[in-house]
Amino acid sequence: MSAEEGVDRERGIALNEDWAATIAGLVLLALVLARIVPGWLVP
Amino acid sequence: MAEVETRQRSGVLWAAGGVAVVVVLGALTRYLEQQVPVLTKGTWLGGVAKSVEYPVYAILLGLLGNAVLTGLGFRDRLAAGFRTEFFIKTGLVLLGASINFAVIVKAAGPAIAQAFLLITLVFGFTWWLGGKLGVDAKLRALLASAVSICGVSAAIAAAGAVQARREQLAYTASMVIIFALPSIFLLPLAVDALGLSAPVAGAWIGGNIDTTAAVSAAGAIVGEEALQIATIVKTTQNALLGVVAVALTAYFALKVERTGETKAGGRALWERFPKFVLGFLAASVIATVFLESGGDKTVITTVNDLRTLFLILAFVSIGLEFRVAPLREAGWRPIGVFASATVVNLLVGLGLASVLFAGFGR
Repeated sequence: MSAEEGVDRERGIALNEDWAATIAGLVLLALVLARIVPGWLVP
Repeated sequence: MAEVETRQRSGVLWAAGGVAVVVVLGALTRYLEQQVPVLTKGTWLGGVAKSVEYPVYAILLGLLGNAVLTGLGFRDRLAAGFRTEFFIKTGLVLLGASINFAVIVKAAGPAIAQAFLLITLVFGFTWWLGGKLGVDAKLRALLASAVSICGVSAAIAAAGAVQARREQLAYTASMVIIFALPSIFLLPLAVDALGLSAPVAGAWIGGNIDTTAAVSAAGAIVGEEALQIATIVKTTQNALLGVVAVALTAYFALKVERTGETKAGGRALWERFPKFVLGFLAASVIATVFLESGGDKTVITTVNDLRTLFLILAFVSIGLEFRVAPLREAGWRPIGVFASATVVNLLVGLGLASVLFAGFGR
């Protein structure tokens, strides 16, 4: 893997994590607001 | 072919092992944060234990885990599971739910003004000083972006924009973490010593500490209101990352490398825009509408607990990711540039926060 490819790979991971975190955060929020995840389940 | 598959599978297993390490240390952090004040109540340690916030336990356990795993020779293989950026961004989207959208709207003006001035001044200073000391143009771009915008993610975006080498990115990322780690503890102490109000303290921390995760850690140590303002300010800086990345791409293509190739503006801006900012805003709107329409407040408490869990995982990962080795390879000049830029950032940031957030919340 060349040095530039390494940077491209890092960028790709960062962009994917951005979307993944956005979706994970909003899904968790929806689950808690809908009371599918109850308070006692979160330590 | 089979060999590649086996290697990929073993990589995934090691990454899963890394995530497991983060989760175990996170659980230990939560246990210590909740139990130490109870167990030490009434003893001479009680007062200290009560004031120690969860970021302190998380980072110290992360550093301890780092030392043990490095000693055992496993750290580098497990490192793919130390996903600081994912954990912090998920935590920040959830944090959006605890902030009334009206507060975000009110803070947006001063936050944008502070971010714009701070990025311009600090980026300009770092670029200028790096040039004076003869630091390579690509490394200068990385250092200036990291110190003036948002640490590692800015460095990654800038590295893509100027086509920097992987070692330059690794080096900048290490420097960001090495400088961020002490500031998590030093800035809250300075906030106390200077007697800053919570909004000014939050704006100072948010405008100063490079990585978003470390901003949250320092903000959480100061308190909930400081954490909220720090996050709004940092998120605003994050949002401006795309603008800087596009400007850098154009500058390097036209002036430094003279390739004449620049990407179409709008699309490149969207590519580099940190999408979690949209999640943060959406969570705030959703929770505000939920509460205004008579929703149960205790449900938001559960969201806050969930947010704390993700922040703990991010802080543990900061400790686990910490590495000193790349710094030795790069020499003193870039360190001098980064350290000087950090001092300028601290001073200019304090001035701007004191002026722009002076009457906030009154």
